[in-house]
Amino acid sequence: MSDSLTTILEGRRSQPHMLIEVLQDIQKAHGYVSREAVSTVSLELGVPLMEVFRVANFYKAFSLEPVGKHVVTLCLGTACHVRGANPLVEQALSLLGLEDEGTTEDRLFTIEAVNCLGACALAPLVILDGVYHPNMTPAKLRALLRRVQRAESKEGVGHA
Amino acid sequence: MPKITSTQNLEVLHERLRAERDDGALLMTICGGPGCQATNCQDVVTEVKKELGSNGLNGKVRLRVTGCHGFCEQGPIMVIDPSNIFYHHVGPEDVSEILNRTVRDGETIDRLLYTDPATNKKVVTEADVPFYQAQSPTLLSQNRWVDPLSIEDYIAIGGYGGLAKVLSGMTPEAVIEEIEASGLRGRGGGGFPTARKWAACRAARGEEKYVICNADEGDPGAFMDRGVLEGNPHAVLEGMIIGAYAIGCEKGYIYVRNEYPIAVDHANEAIRQAREYGFLGKDILGSGMTFDIEVARGGGAFVCGESTALMASLEGKVGEPRPKDIHTVEEGLWNKPTTLNNVETWANVPSIINRGAEWFAGMGTDNSKGTKILALTGQVKNTGLVEVAFGTSIRTVVDEIGGGGRDGRTIKAVQTGGPSGGCLPAALFDLPVDFDVLWEKGSMIGSGGLVVMDEKTCMVDVARYFLKFLQDESCGKCVPCRIGVDRLLEIVTDIVEGRGRPEQIELLKELGETVAQTALCGLGKTAPNPALSTLRYFPEEYEAHVSEHRCPAGVCTALIEYSIDSAACNGCGACLKSCPYGAIQGEKNTLHAIDPHLCTKCGICPTTCNENAIIVQ
Amino acid sequence: MHQYVTVTIDGAKVKARKGTSVLDTALRYAICIPHLCHLPNLSEIGACRLCIVEHVQNGRTKVTTSCTLLAQEGMVILANSDRIRKLRRNIAELLVTQAPNSRAIQDMAVRCGVTEARYPFRQDDCILCGRCVRACKESYQAHAIGFVGRGKERHVNYVFGERPEECVMCRACVTLCPMTVTPCDGPMKPGEEYLCGKCQSVTQAPQYQVGDCVRCDLGQGFDCARHHQ
Repeated sequence: MSDSLTTILEGRRSQPHMLIEVLQDIQKAHGYVSREAVSTVSLELGVPLMEVFRVANFYKAFSLEPVGKHVVTLCLGTACHVRGANPLVEQALSLLGLEDEGTTEDRLFTIEAVNCLGACALAPLVILDGVYHPNMTPAKLRALLRRVQRAESKEGVGHA
Repeated sequence: MPKITSTQNLEVLHERLRAERDDGALLMTICGGPGCQATNCQDVVTEVKKELGSNGLNGKVRLRVTGCHGFCEQGPIMVIDPSNIFYHHVGPEDVSEILNRTVRDGETIDRLLYTDPATNKKVVTEADVPFYQAQSPTLLSQNRWVDPLSIEDYIAIGGYGGLAKVLSGMTPEAVIEEIEASGLRGRGGGGFPTARKWAACRAARGEEKYVICNADEGDPGAFMDRGVLEGNPHAVLEGMIIGAYAIGCEKGYIYVRNEYPIAVDHANEAIRQAREYGFLGKDILGSGMTFDIEVARGGGAFVCGESTALMASLEGKVGEPRPKDIHTVEEGLWNKPTTLNNVETWANVPSIINRGAEWFAGMGTDNSKGTKILALTGQVKNTGLVEVAFGTSIRTVVDEIGGGGRDGRTIKAVQTGGPSGGCLPAALFDLPVDFDVLWEKGSMIGSGGLVVMDEKTCMVDVARYFLKFLQDESCGKCVPCRIGVDRLLEIVTDIVEGRGRPEQIELLKELGETVAQTALCGLGKTAPNPALSTLRYFPEEYEAHVSEHRCPAGVCTALIEYSIDSAACNGCGACLKSCPYGAIQGEKNTLHAIDPHLCTKCGICPTTCNENAIIVQ
Repeated sequence: MHQYVTVTIDGAKVKARKGTSVLDTALRYAICIPHLCHLPNLSEIGACRLCIVEHVQNGRTKVTTSCTLLAQEGMVILANSDRIRKLRRNIAELLVTQAPNSRAIQDMAVRCGVTEARYPFRQDDCILCGRCVRACKESYQAHAIGFVGRGKERHVNYVFGERPEECVMCRACVTLCPMTVTPCDGPMKPGEEYLCGKCQSVTQAPQYQVGDCVRCDLGQGFDCARHHQ
């Protein structure tokens, strides 16, 4: 068991109702919930494996696959929808060469659409790596993503 | 801080804290709500702290970072008291000027003042900003005076006074009677009388009982619970403690969306402070009462706003609702009697106790008492959180507070109550904000989301949007919701994509009614509302799509064409660069053209054109 | 000593053991309330909604599933009102268009009065009644399969899609699945699905009355509670 998993489970062992809290912390620490984590959590909390798997699948907060280095969250709440969130999705997907929500092959970007972030006055809203970008337009989004892409390609050259 | 062990000690502390805050120093309040944070109010705060240290104004100015003031559109917002000067769109570069000119010399800075769009005049004080004038702030206004991380700020405005009143002589029955007399109804959507819920839970058999605060605000277009829990967490705690006293229970939970990390932090910090001060834990204020609260984070599932699903989630399970033939006040969390109320409901409780049921019942309509916080969003000038007395007309909210349509467009509808609610046409804008009236008209107040739609919004597309949302968020357990909503979506998708047949409209109605009557939980039962209400009030838009294959609002991509207005295009190349599909051609400074075979009508180019030369029809 | 309560179902006053569901009570007295996800001795999840009834209370009626409604003294139930029949028919129509290739569901749809399919047919193999899931978990304590995902994505699966050692291939899940009743005419080809309607002759027999248990073959095939008595 990894160290961080031990810390996360501290004080929560054999308490089935802590399942969601534990998975939240794992998701935060590792970026996803691994197969190993699912079995460990099942054993340590005393929850059947099936239930852990179901919970990890049911809630949007959990991902069973690792996410990309940069996460682009597009809000599709009602306010964002009526103020033009769809063109933003089109723009992000086409720019990163994705068909649908998900992670790019180089694992640099993950695009996820969410159903409302509760910042509707700033619609349409995009979150890039935790930073809110209010009143987005496709052009602004393109510039933003291009900037990250450029920084990444520079970094890539530096490492090589 | 040693524990407060009696209500008298609390009164002494309250007086001291109030006096301390009344020392004549200027108060600089910066809104730190989610809206202002997204426009980087933190940078302003950092800059103020730095400047205060360096120019000798420390001690003369008190800085307070608060929760949401409501006027998110204008953030970051700063108010300077006692003169009540209101600055909007404040940036870190303005700070030194504000400190020098406004704080030291008492001048106002014109550039930072808000301009009333109706009169084109600059407004100096917060009280004169039209956005605030038609409101009845009782709960949200507390945000203005409280640093959410400071329990002392809350005590200074009389916080925990309601709890003290309850503990120094009211019986649990008297508390329930007071809430009953106030007419308080659940703010989460259902509008169920709060007192009746409490009384049933109190009467339910069992030693162990629970209270829960539902802060899993999942409605798209709603953020009032976020505003209250982030901005004034102690009001929620105080409400829950009073409720726990009335019901007779020792354990409470706040179930917060994980998408609201600040709300999670503020709630946790408030609980820590409340324990330290002796408002939570054993022997609360020396009364012998025991009660504690824990925060649980949601996992991101809209259905967990439903009470039985929320309780399943709190137990660490999949958030599937169960049949409610037995009420949760009898068998709820871990099959124990449980009272679940929403954030805003709990936060209203302390004021009702403090100021009396009569005061609260004095606001509102016959069956809807008090005030309601609404999240005003969409195609309206002033978006943000607003608090109005029940009975205020929708027109007042949209036109007076909201300032009317954006970019001179005509407002045609409001969508209230999120995915469970419905769309009301402009012709019904004289209707009051009221639980029962809106329900009769096929919508509902819901949790208080109010999304404004104008002529560029297609109502069939709105129905499709909500059905897609609900299909996504349905837990999938029962047939009417899982398959029924999917079929509703299939029909509406046929209509927006130009394949609609006239008989499908009848089928949409019949299926909608079937789902509404037979689905297992509240999510499913109300899922057809957006489709049914748009069908009821905007049949002509459905007609246009089905019979004429035309989308009047120019939204549905299968039914519209993009072209470039040759008179308006100046060949700047902005649209050409923006098009991800290479569908726009043209040399620099010459007329551009759209290739209809490549164009996917994605909607990007119109947003880049400064000349409004892209025609969509 | 069992306690008994009196319940009125479609005008018939019947005695029910306290704590039993309205559906079980009705079936005991041969009043047929169509049902699919209900199985004797398994927990009730109220998922298929076919067993809906009207519960009359204080002059108001509430539509609810009879499998999750516990019989109580003086309860008045309408299991076959016009309203219920229409709603039930619409639900059966949703089911049969989703999984036309199941004889159990085709027959059920006919008995619920489905005469036309107003939605395009789909070829789903599973209507998520959860008989298999509950049998595996509750009767055999194996917990090998479960509902995974939500909304449209909900499906029955193993953990990470791999058969665990808890599954001993007992085939209880297969036996209880309504999809395993072999269709009279054999499987339909994708794209050529239709409402079969063959068993209509049974339900239209002169002595047949809506709501009466006819001890149909269908019930045997997919384990109707009636066939356990």
